[in-house]
Amino acid sequence: MEKQTISRRFFLFTSSMAASLAFIPAGVKAFYNNVKRAIVRSKEKETVSIIVNKQKHTLSVDSRTTLLDLLREELHLTGSKKGCDHGQCGACTVHIDGQRALSCLSLAVMMEGHEITTIEGLAQDGKLHPMQQAFLECDGFQCGYCTPGQIMSAVACVNEGRTGSVAEIKEFMSGNLCRCGAYNGIVESIQKVAAR
Amino acid sequence: MAEGRVEGISKVTGSGKYAAEYKVDNVCYGVIVGSTIPAGEIEAYHLDDAKEVAGVLDIITHLNRPSIPAFENEESIKKSGFSLPVLHTDKVFFKGQPIALVIAETLEDATYAASLVTATYKQSSFNVDFDTTHPSIPLAGTGKERGTMDAWSNAAFVADAEYNIKHEVHNPMEMHATIATWVSKDKLKLWDKNQGVNNVQGTLSRLWKMPAANIEVISEFVGGGFGAGLLVWPHVLMTVMAAQQVKRPVKVVLTRPQMFTLVGYRPQAWQKVKIGADKDGNFLGILHQSKHSKSVYDNYREGITRISRMLYKIPNAKTEEATVSLNLSAPTWMRGPGDCSGAFGLECAIDELSYQLKKDPVQLRLQNLATEIDPDTQKPWSTNFLNECVEKGAANIEWAKYRKAQPASVKEGDWMIGYGMACGMWFAGRSKASAGIKMQKDGTISVETAMTDIGTGTGTGMQNIAHDNLGIPKNKIKVNLGNSNLPAAPSQGGSTGLSTMSGAVVAACNEFRKKIAELASVVDEAYKHVNPADIVFTKNGVALQTQGNRPVSYENIFAKNNLEIIDVQATSGPGEERQKYAFCSGAAHFVRVKVHAKTGKVKVDKIVSVVDAGYVVNDKAAANQISGAAVGGLGMALTEEQLVDHKLGCVVGNDLAGYHFPVNADAPIIDVSFIGKPDVNINPAGAKGLGEVGIIGMAPAVANAIYNATGKRLRNLPITPDKVLMA
Repeated sequence: MEKQTISRRFFLFTSSMAASLAFIPAGVKAFYNNVKRAIVRSKEKETVSIIVNKQKHTLSVDSRTTLLDLLREELHLTGSKKGCDHGQCGACTVHIDGQRALSCLSLAVMMEGHEITTIEGLAQDGKLHPMQQAFLECDGFQCGYCTPGQIMSAVACVNEGRTGSVAEIKEFMSGNLCRCGAYNGIVESIQKVAAR
Repeated sequence: MAEGRVEGISKVTGSGKYAAEYKVDNVCYGVIVGSTIPAGEIEAYHLDDAKEVAGVLDIITHLNRPSIPAFENEESIKKSGFSLPVLHTDKVFFKGQPIALVIAETLEDATYAASLVTATYKQSSFNVDFDTTHPSIPLAGTGKERGTMDAWSNAAFVADAEYNIKHEVHNPMEMHATIATWVSKDKLKLWDKNQGVNNVQGTLSRLWKMPAANIEVISEFVGGGFGAGLLVWPHVLMTVMAAQQVKRPVKVVLTRPQMFTLVGYRPQAWQKVKIGADKDGNFLGILHQSKHSKSVYDNYREGITRISRMLYKIPNAKTEEATVSLNLSAPTWMRGPGDCSGAFGLECAIDELSYQLKKDPVQLRLQNLATEIDPDTQKPWSTNFLNECVEKGAANIEWAKYRKAQPASVKEGDWMIGYGMACGMWFAGRSKASAGIKMQKDGTISVETAMTDIGTGTGTGMQNIAHDNLGIPKNKIKVNLGNSNLPAAPSQGGSTGLSTMSGAVVAACNEFRKKIAELASVVDEAYKHVNPADIVFTKNGVALQTQGNRPVSYENIFAKNNLEIIDVQATSGPGEERQKYAFCSGAAHFVRVKVHAKTGKVKVDKIVSVVDAGYVVNDKAAANQISGAAVGGLGMALTEEQLVDHKLGCVVGNDLAGYHFPVNADAPIIDVSFIGKPDVNINPAGAKGLGEVGIIGMAPAVANAIYNATGKRLRNLPITPDKVLMA
């Protein structure tokens, strides 16, 4: 946690530097660019072993690669979706060691030894997870793009016991945006699973 | 097990492939670099730093890109219809305009290198300020004027006010993406996010001057459209150019901030509505004026005042419009284009009039709705049950019991409670399309079309229609769509998708029955003179409803005709009925709001929408669309606003943290119902489109409820808490 706070401050500091430098002459800008290049290293690869949907992968990973891009571009597990790449929409929600997490805000190199479950790993033995079944029955989606993230969060909603009322479900699920507005069906799906 | 959508399993398991998700061998990544000034000319690019980055394959700019044949010179560019000849000009029209594409081995390499690309410009003056510019832009008459303005100058009651709507952005959850590959020197294949594969195919064919047949476009799963996918945008052209340049497949995925400037938006709009009524509440005349923003390089125009010529019986009607050119990117159609903005002005003005008249707004509408004849074209409506929508909606929300005529008269603690309503209308269109049916030896069929399914349930609707027509069980009907090699279909927009496809699928079913009769007659002569409608499809073959059953197995049909597959195609489109009738879908929206007296927060805690969309092909998917549109309308009413920085000349806060569309907790559980009476003239299914009409009228319903709750008339969207408090 401590580490993240520092890096966030550092980020804010450097970006405010960038903003203020926008009004400064070209020579200074060039200097800033040199500084930027020194700060952001071009490429560093590390070997990482992660478990995705119970399968172990040992991969050489670019230190800048997010878990989401690793899943989608390297492992071709495209069920986890990129809707913003900034932790603002929830479409990339996966479970890391059983806890819901935004894979676009997790660097792949930090995942050493962690167990990831994606939407592709939710169905067991060819049988849909009850939440997947409920989304199907309650039409909890339209275009389907936010759906894997909704389902991963919905499973967490039930697991964490946050299904006491419609308002509680809606509040818990508000980190998962749906532009089609299929919120009626999403709530109904969660109620259905919670009632079992 | 309750049945879901035909593509439902693919969506809940994450196996359905959206444009950027196809595994394409040897693919590399492109990242777009945008201009850093809002207007001017590019003098020089500085690419050295970016080129040094490991993994960078190339950087294309207007100086080195492969040329698009139709962008050869100024004149051919004009003819191409492309207002932004991307990478074929040194001119900059808005901040963020694509000026380069960095192509690299990985997304990380390309993203980093793109951050190092800079350019020097010759800057020009710019203007991005709609509010201060529009007063100097003259209005011009639009549509057919009825009667005169003098005729109602003595109207007993007149509402006259100005209304403003901010720039809104579609923001489908899937960011636009293209993978392009030149399969050979003259063959192109694209996996692309769009709302019409044949449109993308045709556009690229014109631009690259190559036969459409040599271009394959695939969009099997589309992560939302809302209008943003109806045009071919610059990034698609850039991806195709890049693939040509590096002779490899290239993938470009827009970033979310780029989604705010590169794929259109609903323009900012100003309106003035003046409407008059006699002492009994009969509308006498209307003057509806509007202006909306557009970009300096494009001529986009939407008919904001059209709805005022259609919805009510108003003997005197005049509408005027204008556009305001700004140094912002080009707007485009967004869900309910024109009418959605226009309904805000019209339906708020009518609400204002109702309070002057001391007449229930429900009654005022029922008295004035034009449900017999379209006042604009003077043609009879084929069907228009808007009055029933209003009556049913009022009943469902218990309007008569709970809505108080006196504003600001109901309080629950610090919350002020109010009720409001408004109507929406959208023309019910239909286009020409083709559909195909293929039967396999095991008796399963696939229904096919090039049309996309952007989440509306088109595929499921096609399955339902084929099932209704052929009686083949749904689990034996597959749907293939979203590929330009399939039977041609128009783009999916303007609520015409299912209205169009239903005709094509019914035609294909009829063709299929004819074909089966012909093929079965080889086995049993009785089928030679049979009415194809008499054929029933059973588990193992076909039989006849009349003439003593006479079953023929699929096995025999295939064997005796020496076939591997039975394949038919048919085309269907609108006909004479379009000359005889006017067509529309209608909706009535009712809401209950709570407005917090101390914070100005507005909470919509009840929404009732009743829709006349003809026969409803699939109840669940239709209700889902309408409730989703209501959520979109809530965003328009309360939260959605793309901020523009007038000094920097650009949009700001352009991401999902800065631009607020409703989250789950912002919307109540929405109560949707349908009138459900088929429109027998529109198409064989009797189904009218319903994608747009759910959002048209939702924002004014909310604004009207806020007035009822607080006595404050808020005419500028979105109605954020600060506006409520300051009013």
